[in-house]
Order: sequence, then structure tokens, then C-alpha cells
Amino acid sequence: MTIHASTWLGRRKWVLAAVGLPVLIALWWAFRPEKLWVNEKVNEPAPFVSAGEPQPLFTGRLEGKAHQTSGRATIYKNPDGKLYLRLTDFTTSNGPDVHIVLARSDDNGLQQEIVKGDLDNIELGPLKGNQGDQNYDVPASTDLNKYRAVVVYCERFHAVFGLAGLETF
Amino acid sequence: MFRTIQIAGALAIFLSVAGFEQVSAQEKAQPLETGTFHGKVHNTSGRATIYKEADGRLLLRLTNFKTSNGPDVHVILIAAKDADDDANFLKSSTERLDLGSLKGNEGDQNYNIPSGTDLKKFQTVSIYCERFNANFGAAPLEKF
Repeated sequence: MTIHASTWLGRRKWVLAAVGLPVLIALWWAFRPEKLWVNEKVNEPAPFVSAGEPQPLFTGRLEGKAHQTSGRATIYKNPDGKLYLRLTDFTTSNGPDVHIVLARSDDNGLQQEIVKGDLDNIELGPLKGNQGDQNYDVPASTDLNKYRAVVVYCERFHAVFGLAGLETF
Repeated sequence: MFRTIQIAGALAIFLSVAGFEQVSAQEKAQPLETGTFHGKVHNTSGRATIYKEADGRLLLRLTNFKTSNGPDVHVILIAAKDADDDANFLKSSTERLDLGSLKGNEGDQNYNIPSGTDLKKFQTVSIYCERFNANFGAAPLEKF
């Protein structure tokens, strides 16, 4: 009696194994759950690696606020370590005393078209032209982890013509 | 006299060719479009940039890139403005262009884009799991 029971159990085990194992293997192949913990890290060089070229660090799209503004703002690092901001495809409205400044992207003042009080900013210089590609030097001491917004700013009326939030390139 | 002109002409041609070569050697890859990844199904982050190399070839480069590892993951271009989630493009017959298997789920990496690809049509990069038809994350591209 006991012998019979054990052979029955044994056969059932075999059937379970014969069906279960392929199912388990198929599930593993399909989902590869171990990949959730295994990282594959790569580090391919950029297509243009040359030490003599400025490298882009941050970039963002300009959006209009008080006046229609569009284009791209990119901060480059020169091989000698100097930082500069480059505006491309740039268009904004012309106006009095318009400057390009860097501001804190979380600054509440930037929520409105007209900043109440003074805007905490780093001056990059008066707007060179309201259209076209242009470069501005960024002071070496600038903390780009803090000042992450490029603002086209009319100092006279505290008007935010347009701004771009910078993201890591 | 004629000989002098000949020599001068040859010299001029040589100089212009040499000068032209120098200029083309200085050319580098130009960024055409760029965008940042957002991921819903799996956390995906980083930047996707399409470069045009000096010889005219197109190249997709992922930087600061991070996604989840998974089975049979590919990098594809899709003919859509963006892909918010799975439903957005996987149920429709959106055109897609396979750029190859994901080389790694972390780090900087490059993918060749077939010449003749219409970048006006394919506006989004997607990290796509072929096996489960899942969109790990997508980056809508904008003019650089």
C-alpha cells in the first residue's frame, strides 16, 4: 500500500516537472526578471570628440511670456573653461533696455509677465539683436545648478519677454 | 608666358583643393534636433540628439541616459509628435523605424540612422520593448 502511494506520487512529480519546467523556462525567457537588477552600462564617445571644440552643457527652448519669443538657448563650455550662452533660431520683440539674464528657474517672480520687485539674476548683457544667432559670455562664478533659466528681460519695466528652462545636454 | 600661366593655374587649383580639404576636415557633426526622455511604463531619463556628421550621415546619440533593463529592448523612431504611454502609438498603426537593439540601459550611446530618413516625419525617439509591445519611454525631438 505504501509502495503504491509512493510510485503514484513519484509519477505525478514527473508529470509536474515535465510540464512545469518548460513553462517556467518560457516565462523566464519572456520576462527575463533578473534584468531588473542587472544594469548594462555603456559609454560611447560623441561623434565629434575633439578637445578644441566647445561642448554643450545645457539647453532649452525659449517660450514667450510678455512678448512672443522663440528659439533655443544653449550654454557651451569652451576648451579653456569659459562658459558662454548661445541663442539660435532666436526671435523676440524689440524693446527698451532689454537684457539677457540668468535667473533661478524656481523663482516665483518668473510666473508673472511683470516681475514684482527685483529679479534675482545674473546679467549677461544687453540684447544684441531681437532676431538671429548670438553669443553672451557667462561669468565664471555662475552657479549653473542654481541659475537654470535664461530670461529675455526688460529691465525698465521688469517685463519677462520670454524665458527658457535649461536642462542637461 | 604661357608656361607661367599654366604653372600659376596649377598652383591656384592645388591651393584651392588644399584649402577646401582643410575646411571640410574642420567640419564636425552638427546637432539637428534634440529632446529629453520621459518614461511612464519604466523610468526613463536623459537626452536624445540627432547629429548630422560631416559626411552627411545621420546619427542618434543618447546622453545622461537611463532606463530599465528588459528583454528585447530596441531604440526606434516613430512617426508621431510624442508618445505619452503605451496606448498612444502601439495600438495605432504608427510608422516606426528600428535603429537597433538597446546597447545598454545606462550611459552614452550612438545609433546610426538610415540615410534618407525623413526627420520631419519621425519626430520621436522611443525605447521600445518588442516582445511586449511596450513603450519604456519617449523623447519628442525639437529643432536644436
